[in-house]
Amino acid sequence: MSVIAVTRLELRRLFVRPLAWVLAALTLGQLAWRFTLLLGGFLAGQIKLAALPGGPGYTDLVGVPMLSSILTGGVLPFGVAELALVIVPLLTMSVIAGERSNGTLPLWFAAGLPASRIVLGKYLALMLWLVLWLALALAMPLSLAHGVTLDWGKLASASLGLLLTLAALAAIGVACSAYASHASIAASVALTLGLAMAGVNLAAQKAGATNGVFNWVALSSHLESMLRGLVSTADVAWFLIVIVVALALATQRLAAEKERG
Amino acid sequence: MSAPTAVLELDHITRHRAGRPAVSGLTLRLDSGQVLGLLGVNGAGKSTTLAMVAGALAPDSGAIRLNGKDFMEHPELARSVIGWLPERAPLWPELTVSEHLDAHGRLRGLRGTGLAQAHRRIVERLELGSLSRRLAGVLSQGQRQRLGLACALLHSPQLLVLDEPANALDPVQVAALREVIREQAAAGTAIILSTHLLAEVTAACDRVAILHEGQLRYDGALDGADHKALEQTFFDIAMRGNGSNDRMQAA
Repeated sequence: MSVIAVTRLELRRLFVRPLAWVLAALTLGQLAWRFTLLLGGFLAGQIKLAALPGGPGYTDLVGVPMLSSILTGGVLPFGVAELALVIVPLLTMSVIAGERSNGTLPLWFAAGLPASRIVLGKYLALMLWLVLWLALALAMPLSLAHGVTLDWGKLASASLGLLLTLAALAAIGVACSAYASHASIAASVALTLGLAMAGVNLAAQKAGATNGVFNWVALSSHLESMLRGLVSTADVAWFLIVIVVALALATQRLAAEKERG
Repeated sequence: MSAPTAVLELDHITRHRAGRPAVSGLTLRLDSGQVLGLLGVNGAGKSTTLAMVAGALAPDSGAIRLNGKDFMEHPELARSVIGWLPERAPLWPELTVSEHLDAHGRLRGLRGTGLAQAHRRIVERLELGSLSRRLAGVLSQGQRQRLGLACALLHSPQLLVLDEPANALDPVQVAALREVIREQAAAGTAIILSTHLLAEVTAACDRVAILHEGQLRYDGALDGADHKALEQTFFDIAMRGNGSNDRMQAA
């Protein structure tokens, strides 16, 4: 029950701060722009595409590219995954570091809550916000579901990939917030880590390194296969490992803070 | 007849901060209905002691027992047993007074009608009704202290921990605070409050403990002790590191 109390309080704080609303408005506006561009491209080429046996459909050209530009190339305007690299650190930066600078962190300890429940409660609140955000982004391509033929399996796989990406980035952001003394430092470190994890394989390829380790470490390689409709245990496990390790680090840091004072 | 179980027992607790002992071998006992004033100059270890009692800070060694149970083994006791008002009431500036009370109530395990009743009771008692929709970030210092006190009292704790509660309060608010302390003590709540105001101790407490350089230098009842004797003992300890229990006992 205490986790729910923490989640409820954190969610309330998230929704009364302007930052969350501004981020939601800006990113959804940008995604709407991306949706109209993708839809325009699909409508312009659909006669040609219909003639191709096994050619790409609405899901490949509009639904999945809304979520990420990994498969389509051309980054601008950003897809959900690219926007998440920026907005998740902004949302998570003050989750713990903000409490520390505000002097409210001891209140959580004094409520008799173990560090793990504090971290989990705050993380769940962030995830609820991010799930809502993802749902609103998905609502755009889904709004035309009655008039097009959707590949539901591929869209579900891509959505799962995005959900896991958001969950991993949020966990990394919470961990950075637990270690940083100020929210701005937490945001900077989380952003850097997120960008590094997203592009480490591409950077390595450009540098001539074809080591499989870089591909394994890179977030984008695990997301890419899900965007293609392939859900593998190895990819899901990678995301879960990142989430668990990041949350465990945040918990350990918070518990140590109570010990150290 | 056996002695009543102490609400709070500190058993040789020690805590280092910045490499030096902030609290050293402190042993204290507090029964229900007692009001203990913790006196000491700045840096004497009062806030560190109270943070450990409240569960916000772990001692390096020694034991803290709440109702006879080891607090380190049962940190969840803090949720229901303790109400804590730190030195500068920490509040979330983006939440209203009412939201603060609800959030603290839920964190302390209150739900539904129990929470609504406790909320209503504390708002009436501390006259927070007119402030209930105001954001904590715009409250005056005195209003912040009142809200902090309300959050600490909301779940009717058995042990109330107040760190310099009269700071930034005007004389009327100080009088109201003393009245609340007396009411709580009469209802059986054990109260430990830190202050460096001697008048605060003589007016609100029935026992005084004086800390100096992290060590307990005096612990005794205030029955009959006048302000002057307490002042002399306090200054003896603060200036020379030794107090005269005889002077207090004579008083």
